[in-house]
Amino acid sequence: MPREAELSLNEREFLLQALRENVRLDGRPFDTFRNVELKFGEEYGVADVQLGKTRIVVRVSCDVTAPYPDRKFDGIFNITTEFSPMASPAFEVGRPNESEVILSRILEKAIRRSSALDTESLCIIAGQKCFAVRADIHVLDHDGGLVDAACIALIAALQHFRRPDVTVEGENVTVYSLREREPVPLAMLHHPLCVTFSYFHSGEVVLVDATLAEEQVRESEVIVTMNRHGEICQIAKYGGSPIDAVSLLTCTSSALGKVQALWKYIQEKLDEDAKKRDAGGLMAELSAENAR
Amino acid sequence: MPLDTSTYSLALLRLDGRRWNELRRIHAQISTQAAADGSSYLEMGNTKVICTVAGPAEGRRGAVGGGSQSEMRIEVEINIAGFAGVERKKRSRADRRNAELSHTVQSALESTLLTHLYPHSTLTLTLHILAQDGALLAACINAATLALVDAGVPMYDYLVACSAGSTSASAAAPPSSSAIPGLGGIGGNRSVGADADDPLLDLNGLEEQELPYLTVGTQGDSDKVVVCVMETRCHASRLEEMLAVGIDGCKRVREILDGVVRAHGKKMIENE
Amino acid sequence: MTSTLLLLPGDEVPSSLLPKGNHKPLVLGPGLRHAPPSSVRATVSGTLTVDARKNALWIETNRGRYIPHVNDLVIATVLRSSSDFYHCTITPHAAQANLPQLAFESATRKTRPQLAPGALVYARISSASRDMDPELSCVSASSGKADGLGPLKGGMLFDVSLGFCRRLLLSESKVPLPAEQGGGAVTILEALAEKIGFEVAVGRNGKLWVDGGDVKMTLAVGKALQQTDQERLTLDQQKKLAAKTLRELGS
Repeated sequence: MPREAELSLNEREFLLQALRENVRLDGRPFDTFRNVELKFGEEYGVADVQLGKTRIVVRVSCDVTAPYPDRKFDGIFNITTEFSPMASPAFEVGRPNESEVILSRILEKAIRRSSALDTESLCIIAGQKCFAVRADIHVLDHDGGLVDAACIALIAALQHFRRPDVTVEGENVTVYSLREREPVPLAMLHHPLCVTFSYFHSGEVVLVDATLAEEQVRESEVIVTMNRHGEICQIAKYGGSPIDAVSLLTCTSSALGKVQALWKYIQEKLDEDAKKRDAGGLMAELSAENAR
Repeated sequence: MPLDTSTYSLALLRLDGRRWNELRRIHAQISTQAAADGSSYLEMGNTKVICTVAGPAEGRRGAVGGGSQSEMRIEVEINIAGFAGVERKKRSRADRRNAELSHTVQSALESTLLTHLYPHSTLTLTLHILAQDGALLAACINAATLALVDAGVPMYDYLVACSAGSTSASAAAPPSSSAIPGLGGIGGNRSVGADADDPLLDLNGLEEQELPYLTVGTQGDSDKVVVCVMETRCHASRLEEMLAVGIDGCKRVREILDGVVRAHGKKMIENE
Repeated sequence: MTSTLLLLPGDEVPSSLLPKGNHKPLVLGPGLRHAPPSSVRATVSGTLTVDARKNALWIETNRGRYIPHVNDLVIATVLRSSSDFYHCTITPHAAQANLPQLAFESATRKTRPQLAPGALVYARISSASRDMDPELSCVSASSGKADGLGPLKGGMLFDVSLGFCRRLLLSESKVPLPAEQGGGAVTILEALAEKIGFEVAVGRNGKLWVDGGDVKMTLAVGKALQQTDQERLTLDQQKKLAAKTLRELGS
């Protein structure tokens, strides 16, 4: 039975001793993220995020289907997660382990329940046709911080994605392919991002963006999801050692700073990508014609 | 279906007639199931939970999870009865919400029980939700604590949980922007001034659908938070008062649970 | 004599490179295959290494997966113990290895070391075959001495590539190395050891154990070694890195 490479006692003790001396193994300060690298694919809606050694690819796709009968005015938005065995010996195909359940639940709460994506805008004809947007999250390499990295990738991919344009004439729906008409970006209401705090030494040491080794040693974790307007979309502290309530509040305020910085980075990358796609200002010309 | 909670700011009474800082009725019994090693029945308002404990007993060999067998493994199984909610719906056991719920109860208990006293053993908790009307996680945690006390599993202190919400009308609104001038604070035993965003204690099912809320679990009556789960969007400035009210609620829940345990103990002594 | 020829699987070893004028039989090492009648072909990609004295040639390669071989030194983690064995992992993907509880220096039923799950041991692979779990030993079969093997206390484990571990071990035993990057030799350890004292154990399974006494020293040495590996530093660069590391430690 494959399983996570467990840390040896020596590594555990060394890591904890180092933290006591205010040293992280990779030399980072306690409250900083690892290097985030975001790349977009050739197609719309493909985002590849590297957070240190952790790597996650998200692909957003959509097609036209009938809406759920109890939600006639809403489109469909699904998030699926896939943990590939190449990321870690602990992952097996077809058997979701605990971290997969947690990841998909956190993303569900952070993005779907907080209605980051306006599902009403995906409706084409109420009760008959709507867009079904699907985000597939693939974990390619696992070195801790899966939730944070997956959230960055998912938000970036959703923001990058373009759905085909449609026109409705009575009962007739025309879906234009990407060649026929400039595709339409999704209606995002806000951009929630996750920050995970890890607690060591009964709450004396708090780390942001723990690596896999640090995750294995930590006493408890708090996952905070916020958007840049200072709204909390989700907090999850599932257990672990008790922490001060005040510490939860400081987590949220420090998460806000991180989220704002991350969103700024994502936006820069999106602008960069848009510029690359818009070589020679061709798109601007085309859309001007359409407007007329 | 949005629910009208706007009357709150007029009378400062909630839908079910409670004030902001009142718990629902908590009724609990322990040793309800003779067959189990420990059991409890808990009602928080209309939320009803039965919990049974089996073990600590020798674990199944095949189910050895990690390499460390120096601590007791805790398994939590949660069944939500088909008739528990408003809609009659069968929830599959592989449901992710369910998995998350049992993961929460499990990892919260891991830090509360003295797991190192029972190496190579497994403790199995089974929670049956008979009726849900808000504060599901809190009810599960409280019922589990009572059943574990009944089973005689050593713990550092009671693990108690309680939910708290905020009346902020729109989740996105910054504090006090939705306040109606002049109305806040009338008749209330709390000086809220112009701020109509009150924290609320122990939300029922209808309020949970409408308002932002969180569930806090603390160890005993300390201010240390073991569990904190918030699933709804709300402004960060609301968090502090929600947490404060929730932790205060936990202390009161602890008193109630403690009373139940003591009453049960008294009865046992009398019967002997 | 060394060469820098890079071979890919299927490439033929030029006959001019085959050692000649030696009456010993030609020995083909890992990564080479005799293709009858008279050519030698590579089966993995890497640099060809020729040892004319022993009339041997092999391919030096840096592969990702560790496969246990007899007499390899590895750093294993104890998973659990049973009545006669400690069950250890060498890599998380491979099968578990067994370390007999009496395979320590002067160990008897009463004096054998007690290892908790998670403890590290520096051990030699005493038997490895396709069909059986590998077996470990912390004692030399001939002399009964530990020879530096045994439980590792304190310190920290660092992950490095398999090729780097091999280079570290080879540069110690002064066996000729392929000429890539100045012979692939590693001097960083010696350069560091001139000024500071630390303990190192190199496992062929890509693990490196360092104990420098305190956190700062251990981390500095481990990081320097990892950097040497990942950035494929040449001898000069290694010396520079060693000087830089020592400077930082001094401050």
